[in-house]
Amino acid sequence: MIRRSTWWAAAAGLLLAGPAAAQPAALPPPYQGAYQPHGVDEIGLWHEADEEERQLAASPLRIRDERLTGYVTSVLCATVGDDRCGSVRVYVIRAPMFNASMTPNGTMRVYSGLLLRLRNEAELATVLGHEFGHYERRHTLAAFKERRSGTDAVAWMALLTSLGASYQTMQNFQNFQLAVYGGFFRHGRDQEREADKLGIAYLNRSSLRPQSATVVWQHMMAEAEASASAKGLKKPNFRYIAFAASHPPYAERAAYLAELAAPDGADRDDGTERYRAALAPFLAQFLDDQIKLNDFGASEYLIQNLATAGWTATLWLKRGDLYRTRGAPRDLAAAADFYAHAVQLDPTLAEAHRGLGLSLMKTGRPSEAVAPLQTYLRLRPDAVDAGMIQTIIPGGPQ
Amino acid sequence: MTRHRTLRRMLAFAAIAALPLPANAHKLAEKGTPVTIADSTLSVTPTRDWNRLSGRIGAHAERWTLDGEQLNDVTFYAGVAPGEPLLRERSKKKDPLPKFRQDMLLAEVPELLERTYRTGRDARDFQLSGAAPGKFLGRDGVTFAYQVTDSEGLIRKGEARAAAVNGKLYLVTFDAPRLHYFDQVVDDARALMGSATL
Repeated sequence: MIRRSTWWAAAAGLLLAGPAAAQPAALPPPYQGAYQPHGVDEIGLWHEADEEERQLAASPLRIRDERLTGYVTSVLCATVGDDRCGSVRVYVIRAPMFNASMTPNGTMRVYSGLLLRLRNEAELATVLGHEFGHYERRHTLAAFKERRSGTDAVAWMALLTSLGASYQTMQNFQNFQLAVYGGFFRHGRDQEREADKLGIAYLNRSSLRPQSATVVWQHMMAEAEASASAKGLKKPNFRYIAFAASHPPYAERAAYLAELAAPDGADRDDGTERYRAALAPFLAQFLDDQIKLNDFGASEYLIQNLATAGWTATLWLKRGDLYRTRGAPRDLAAAADFYAHAVQLDPTLAEAHRGLGLSLMKTGRPSEAVAPLQTYLRLRPDAVDAGMIQTIIPGGPQ
Repeated sequence: MTRHRTLRRMLAFAAIAALPLPANAHKLAEKGTPVTIADSTLSVTPTRDWNRLSGRIGAHAERWTLDGEQLNDVTFYAGVAPGEPLLRERSKKKDPLPKFRQDMLLAEVPELLERTYRTGRDARDFQLSGAAPGKFLGRDGVTFAYQVTDSEGLIRKGEARAAAVNGKLYLVTFDAPRLHYFDQVVDDARALMGSATL
């Protein structure tokens, strides 16, 4: 017992010594004016972030659309205020996952998969405010310092352990190491909670509806459930915190965001119409990126969600693609039906005719498949797969 | 969300550290000597020396390269049975890959490859630039070309040939960065693909 407590005292001393010595004087916030980083750590992180931003700006995955980028930036400004948002550069990235991130130098990355999943401006503001919170509180810098002092302590402990190696000291060392690493992850989750709280505080002060914040996580849970159910997995546990979890669990976030939303904001506008209008030109592509991920449950959930505003030819087409590519006989019959709806709403939608023809072909109705496939070729005489489609039209060129 | 990237880097680093030493990892396929692919009945006769990579990325897949698979990659998928994916699945239950299906039309094979690349290789964009009927293994098949962008933003060009034989899919792809590498090797890759027989 005595020996163990000595170890822990030494370890605690090492852990405390690091950050205490490096405590800087209060710095201006990073969004103020043309802020310049202070101290080697911050300068280093900004340098790295500048380099990454240079690559990002030139990346083919960046969606170079001034209107979309401008729209996301305007929502950020409406959330955190014009005085703060001027320090941020927004980049919309083509990546089909729910994510956004912010680096210490003010680079905001917003993934297309996030935009596909959100339903209104207030939900977008929730995520943007959260990311801005990380930036405002210099979370990356704090996490870097924490990791450095923690790994320093582990290294010293390893040295001390090797001096008095015994089964018990090794055991103590391993426990210590686990505690330090677990601490990194816990610290990360605490930062996420802090960013969530800052985000909702911004939303409360904005003209948008703060009650939408909790809805983001409710939908994430529903989507995860739909995904798991279609894969035959058991329902995910939304309260469980894994050792290495980077974020608090969905249920916890949904609960505290609901609690922290200002009640008097409940009847504010959530900007659904503006959001839909801004996203409309990109919806087909973002949805296409999603349905090709082979996650049937999540994709179907997202399509159903988008369809609450009314079924469009694009939604029917993508739903048809989703079912046809899963490809069970019942899926093919359903796909043919969905494509038929798409064609009805927009007879010029070439891909829907193609999908309809292929689905009918595979459900044993080749004679019915001829007309839609021919329509596809008529609408798209220069389609890249025209030659292939020609060969499968019964009676067509072999 | 900000430290997602850092964590990924740490994991990538750990993965690299855990790799076994590549002693005798790869074999040489010599010019003019027929080689059987992935213990199947598919064989090819290279017109120049190629490296056969030893890592099995799929039950029926074999990868060939000249300068490393990132720079030029000929992958054979030799006899994928209905219900099987092209690549090995990281998790059959959680991250299933798209499967080849008995009733799949040849016109749908490019979609199968696209969905496999997006799911199994994290491809962010896949543009089909051509798909036309073409002979492969002496059968009616499909020849198609594409351009794929990976998660790092690198753009590769690709060309593939496929045919279904006795209900199984035979597919061979050639992928290389659009800049320089594709054009540099495409003739050798076409010769290799064209030499495939059953």
